[in-house]
Amino acid sequence: MWNNLKNLIYGKSSSSVAKGRLHLVLAQDRTGLDGGRLQEMRAEIAAVIAKYVPIDAEAVEIQIETRSRETQLTVSSAIQPRNA
Amino acid sequence: MGRAIVITSGKGGVGKTTTTANLGAALAALGHTVVLVDADIGLRNLDVVMGLENRIVYHVVDAIQGKCSVQKALIKDRRLDNLWLLPASQTDDKDSVTPADMRSLIFELKTMYDFVLIDCPAGIEQGFKNAIAGADEAIVVATPEVSSIRDADRVVGLLAAADIQAQLIVNRISPHLVKRGDMLSQSDVIEILSLEMLGAIPLDNQVIATTNKGVPAVLEGKSLAAKEFIRIAKRISGLEVERESVGFFTRIGRALGLSATPA
Repeated sequence: MWNNLKNLIYGKSSSSVAKGRLHLVLAQDRTGLDGGRLQEMRAEIAAVIAKYVPIDAEAVEIQIETRSRETQLTVSSAIQPRNA
Repeated sequence: MGRAIVITSGKGGVGKTTTTANLGAALAALGHTVVLVDADIGLRNLDVVMGLENRIVYHVVDAIQGKCSVQKALIKDRRLDNLWLLPASQTDDKDSVTPADMRSLIFELKTMYDFVLIDCPAGIEQGFKNAIAGADEAIVVATPEVSSIRDADRVVGLLAAADIQAQLIVNRISPHLVKRGDMLSQSDVIEILSLEMLGAIPLDNQVIATTNKGVPAVLEGKSLAAKEFIRIAKRISGLEVERESVGFFTRIGRALGLSATPA
């Protein structure tokens, strides 16, 4: 808690930067999916979603992250309103 | 039947050999019979860390190839009654031994000793496969650095695939740097790797000094690192170790769910 407060005041500590980077890199290592492949997948998923609902394909976000030995894949995208 | 524990890390230079030497000495001092096996064939180091380099006649490859009996290749540490070393060969290469060879060797040693500690080479290739072949359990050593933790995670995955349960030792932790926010804390490392932790060894200049002399730190003085190695040895051998005393406010915080309780 104290560290979170410190982060707010002084900016991120190098250890919390390390932690964030590790969560990402371990997810990539465990899935065997590196950054480039992930972006390829993002583009394909965006294209699939765009077939069904209007979206901004460029704004689709993809993320893999590892928490407690489970790796989670998250794809998020805002859907544009109809007749926009 | 004894327990075979492989000490591994993926990354080199994080303290596998020092950990093996110190845990071995601590377990022996607790009254267990212990043999240390240097599985780093071609790059042996456990002998110099233990200060036994001048007494090597035969080595692990000789024993495996039947050039001598296993007993003949074992070196007794004269400082403790029940500590032995099976040195690696410095001239052969990793491929002169197979996982099947190691499995039967470690099995034989398990019939003779309470603990068989296997010092694994760095990397995840043949040497690693040989070192883990006969192991029942694993200790993964990691320093609180991005590269070491990444490699440790890779190794934990490989161990899991081989059905070997791993526990973690965080080595060379500096409370000062952790406090300043410039080093991952032990609970950070536990959270990232989601492993059960055996202990955290503080960064301790005494370890460098005792290693210079070929004496495991636990045999000399009461340095912080030595104390922690002894605590870990007690935990490994099943002797109860009191949990770290937790401060009043931390306990209240935990009760209120304000901070994560380390696993």
